Amino acid sequence: MSLFGSRPNTWIMAGVGALACAVAPLNPVWLDSVILTGILALISLSAGLSFGQAGILSMAQGAFAAIGAYATAVCSTRFGLPAWAGLALAIALPSALAWGLARMVTRMPELAVALATLALATLLEIVARNWDAVTGGYVGIAGIPPVEGFSVGWRFNILVWVFVLLAVLAYENLMRSAHGRALNIVRHDRTRAMADGIAVAPLLSAMLATSGAMAGAGGWLYAHYITYMSPGSLDTHASISALLMAVVGGAGYILGPVLGTFLLNLLGKLLPAQEAQGLFYGGALILILLVAPAGLLGWLQALADRRTARRARATSNAAAPAAPAGPAAQAGREADNPARAAEPAR
Amino acid sequence: MSESKLVARDVRMAFGGVVALDRAGVEVHPGRVSGLIGRNGSGKSTLFNCLTGFLKPTAGTIELDGRDITGHAPHEVMRAGIARTFQTPRIDFQTTAREAVLCGLFPRVRHGFLSSLLGLPHALAEERAMQREADAVVERMRMDDWAALQVNKLSMGRVRSVEVARAIAADARYLLLDEPAAGIGRDEMRVLADEIRSLAERGIGVLLVEHNFSLIRMLCEDVTVLDTGAVIFKGTPDEARRDERVMQLYLGTAAAGEAA
Repeated sequence: MSLFGSRPNTWIMAGVGALACAVAPLNPVWLDSVILTGILALISLSAGLSFGQAGILSMAQGAFAAIGAYATAVCSTRFGLPAWAGLALAIALPSALAWGLARMVTRMPELAVALATLALATLLEIVARNWDAVTGGYVGIAGIPPVEGFSVGWRFNILVWVFVLLAVLAYENLMRSAHGRALNIVRHDRTRAMADGIAVAPLLSAMLATSGAMAGAGGWLYAHYITYMSPGSLDTHASISALLMAVVGGAGYILGPVLGTFLLNLLGKLLPAQEAQGLFYGGALILILLVAPAGLLGWLQALADRRTARRARATSNAAAPAAPAGPAAQAGREADNPARAAEPAR
Repeated sequence: MSESKLVARDVRMAFGGVVALDRAGVEVHPGRVSGLIGRNGSGKSTLFNCLTGFLKPTAGTIELDGRDITGHAPHEVMRAGIARTFQTPRIDFQTTAREAVLCGLFPRVRHGFLSSLLGLPHALAEERAMQREADAVVERMRMDDWAALQVNKLSMGRVRSVEVARAIAADARYLLLDEPAAGIGRDEMRVLADEIRSLAERGIGVLLVEHNFSLIRMLCEDVTVLDTGAVIFKGTPDEARRDERVMQLYLGTAAAGEAA
């Protein structure tokens, strides 16, 4: 806490991002992987915010990213607008859609929300496939220009990680505020939230709009990096992987999605064949759900907590007979546990 | 019509063909503890939920200080100054008692979601003020010694205290307690009773929905008795004890209360 000030996650992210920017350019293959990891991390962060903090299981995060990608693709290829103009649209459009979507789905139970968002994503994919005049149909849109000033790989890599850092900063700001606490209350118990004076529907709309904006920004980066956008580019599969990465890393933790993306995306690259990826993802999910339902960060924290509790017991046994266990244990945990820094502020 | 009070008037609540409340009513006055009793299924909880906005009455009105608030959403009712607790504590047992109190301060928040997201100075200042306020509430409710503990490490009586503290944190003027004595021991009940009394002394109007007649007698100046959705008695607890119909309904419970 004292080491990292009031925003430990943002500082850790800054460190990791700086490292990624420094090391990745040494090897073109790494650079490509790290750039894609950053983009996916952004989309996965959007899933972590909605599922991990508010309990909204959205299967449309890939679709939000796709809208962002198509928006900028159309802007730059058809109207010749600069990429930065496309960014405004790439953030505003999915954000607005997510806001409206939240208004519709927040009364539904969790599983129904998942199905409704999945249906929406499928619908959008059908639109993308058939609206030839705008999206180019099956063929998609090719020749999306790179972002001015960031056409070189290592520069674009920095841009990507700056976006991830900004998303983490905003996310951490939110979770350290009353609105973040309110989201956690809503996830835990909506009736409780109402009794606390929380207007649940507007809060969830604002949250999902934020989440949609993050995913849209991810789509914008994707479109300008790959330079090609088609209905298969950011499909339902992308939504599911985003969610999966968040859950594996620890959806309730701010940096959980980033960790999950690093693990699954980079380790996935080590596998011999693309076909083995599904096997790897599925295996990772089953393993995590069995061993660490709160994700890797949750597992690390549980380990650290247990160690601290043991140490506190040992100290209190050795020293004062009536040592206060609570505050002492907490102070110890703050001081010697780096994993705690990744805990969400709640 | 600006006398301060919370009134439910001629409330009728029908779930399909089942009439849970029929011309039921109750009044809560600032600085006073009122009781609402009745058997299981008599409509106490339904009336309670109508008062707090969790149910919209089929007919009748809920008035707050002369203003009609019938059918307002629960969070609006809460923001208007009517707080409630739950019979089964609805609380995240992983959080600390202090955090739970902090959650109760949400109606104080004036800044928007976007300000929180961007970490704007006024949002941060408000957050610091809220943290201080939470400490003040903890101190006022004499929770200092155990406020840092996780709720799952607290006794049921203390969990009830946390619920009360959370409910009134944002300056509620009326507090509706749903069977606060359920599941707690006698000593803890006395502590809770003291707490409720001191809230009333500070000017909060309290409505106690209870099974436990001895707590009602300890605290309430007046009591309303419901049976099958209608009010069958209004008066002081002592008068209620002398009322034949009330005693008939309450024989089992009241006898137990007497013995206690």
